[in-house]
Amino acid sequence: MGNRYLGFDRAGKNSGPLPAMFQKILVANRGEIALRVICACKELGISTVAVYSEADRNSLHVRFADEAVCIGPARSSESYLNIPQVISAAEITNVDAIHPGYGFLSENANFAKVCEASEITFIGPRPEIIEMMGEKDRARREIRTAGLPTIPGSDGVIENEEQLAKESARIGYPLILKASAGGGGRGMRVVRKQEELLAAFETARSEAQQAFGTPDVYAERFLERPRHIEFQVLGDQHGKVIHLGERECSIQRRHQKLVEESPSPVMDVKRRKDLGAKVVKALEKIGYTNAGTVEFLMDEDGTLYFIEMNTRIQVEHPVTELLTGVDLIKSQIRIAAGEKLDDATGEFQFSGHAIECRINAEDPDTFVPSAGRITTFQAPGGTGVRVDSAAYADAVIPPYYDSMIAKLIVKGRDRSEAIGRMKRALEMFVIEGIKTSIPLHRRIFADSEFAGGKFDTHFIERLLGTNGK
Amino acid sequence: MKRKKPSKSGSTSIDSPEVQQIEQLLRFMTEHNLEEFEYSRGDLRIRLRKPSATAMVSAPRVVAAPEIIVAGGLDSTGLSSNTVAGTANASSSASEARASDDLHLVKSPIVGTFYGSPSPGSEPFVKIGAYIEVGQTLCIVEAMKLMNEIESDASGEVIRVFVENGQPVEYGQPLFGIRPSRKK
Repeated sequence: MGNRYLGFDRAGKNSGPLPAMFQKILVANRGEIALRVICACKELGISTVAVYSEADRNSLHVRFADEAVCIGPARSSESYLNIPQVISAAEITNVDAIHPGYGFLSENANFAKVCEASEITFIGPRPEIIEMMGEKDRARREIRTAGLPTIPGSDGVIENEEQLAKESARIGYPLILKASAGGGGRGMRVVRKQEELLAAFETARSEAQQAFGTPDVYAERFLERPRHIEFQVLGDQHGKVIHLGERECSIQRRHQKLVEESPSPVMDVKRRKDLGAKVVKALEKIGYTNAGTVEFLMDEDGTLYFIEMNTRIQVEHPVTELLTGVDLIKSQIRIAAGEKLDDATGEFQFSGHAIECRINAEDPDTFVPSAGRITTFQAPGGTGVRVDSAAYADAVIPPYYDSMIAKLIVKGRDRSEAIGRMKRALEMFVIEGIKTSIPLHRRIFADSEFAGGKFDTHFIERLLGTNGK
Repeated sequence: MKRKKPSKSGSTSIDSPEVQQIEQLLRFMTEHNLEEFEYSRGDLRIRLRKPSATAMVSAPRVVAAPEIIVAGGLDSTGLSSNTVAGTANASSSASEARASDDLHLVKSPIVGTFYGSPSPGSEPFVKIGAYIEVGQTLCIVEAMKLMNEIESDASGEVIRVFVENGQPVEYGQPLFGIRPSRKK
């Protein structure tokens, strides 16, 4: 694909060694991330415009922005996901740039294109890159071509028994057969021995036929107990990409992350350096710009396989911020304005250990979302504790949006200090009026398997004694 | 729409002496149980009118929502182009809606820029006092370079225009106050 420093043209027009910073930014999001972006803008001396739905009139992002525009009713599709409304709000308030946060329009290539057509800077990668990474098969091919390992697989439909024998020999066991049109576990078969292969192939095909109307299946290596490890990256518009280390995100329930930490208990300096260098090289080849996260699954033998890339800021970005001291949101803004990475991030090094808990408004046992009015909101503080939240006492958590209401992040000199700090912070976090996942987090941090750092993505299932339901 | 910084164009801000005087007058009216009050000096004319007593009983918690008209001397009709909503607290459309009481509010369905006439310099679609029908075009809201004609969802007399030509409007912001026709 070669280097594509697209976006350079526009930044280059009014170029000089130090590009002009934005005067005003619209934050196209809600909740804690909208507030987080507003914080970064305030520190950079940039005016802010909040957009909000009718359900969020009394939200803190509306309160702390310099201007606020109501863009629609509670339903996301008519407000936060409504591109014409967001762009109109940007036009009437005359902003230079839009920060999309995470979720909503953040990985919508079309939105990034419309921003560009409206001469508003989209704070994120180029639309072409967002589009490519959004098509998961294509992303895997491009990333593999760029030099990162992906999970070995058949790369397409297995047509017959002959091909099946050939592919299975190449992939090795255990492997998983998946319906090409599939999802939700239908048409999936894990095969651990060659003797089971043929029967499993027939079953998977007939299940796929019944469920999706086509018998097409493909095969890939099955990871029994994988860990989820991801790399934070930043790329500028001058062709340079850096990584800011990894985050361990294996503590998850139904692919929803609950706890993230850095460094990973299983990553050492050499491996971080080697893999980090590969990630940087691959993304420079692709021409990646702004913040992004490269997600890997780690096999029990320590091999890492690329699974996907998120072309936005992540929920768990504060973990990396505490570890490196780099403000990732400010870096995003400065990179989007055309600054070079060295200026945008400054010098940094990795020190200590940081952990984040996602506090959700949900029943800690049944996981049913718990909307309503918060009566008490007492956030913990003290050395090494950070709380990112837009919640407050008397705030109403509406039922229309994501249930995450706060992020509790701690830093210690090492993992054991960080765990101790998180335990006491969880004890001192008081939210009343609605149910939260705080009791579940207390259980996780009291668990010996977690404390020992030897866990995988099935940890929560074992902790709850369920299949993650 | 919330704008923290004082707007340059608005001639009446919440802190202005006029508004403070009006608030004094409102207290005066309440003290003396007056339903209507008119005041003029030089080119300034203020008329305050409370809703009828029965309306007050039915909505006791609603702040008295008088119609306040600050008229300019050059305005021969006596009606002003500079109309301030009830309590002069225009920070949210909710309070504006309350202030307008029995009027039917035509609200903006989209975010954009308000235009009262089909083209610059031409006559406005509707004027205060005009009778309009359901489906009649009241104004244009420009969004993303598209001119969207906003039609009335009620028939009746146009009593209030809440926004000025060229003003940005947000979703749900009241544009017109219409006194619905009696007969359907």
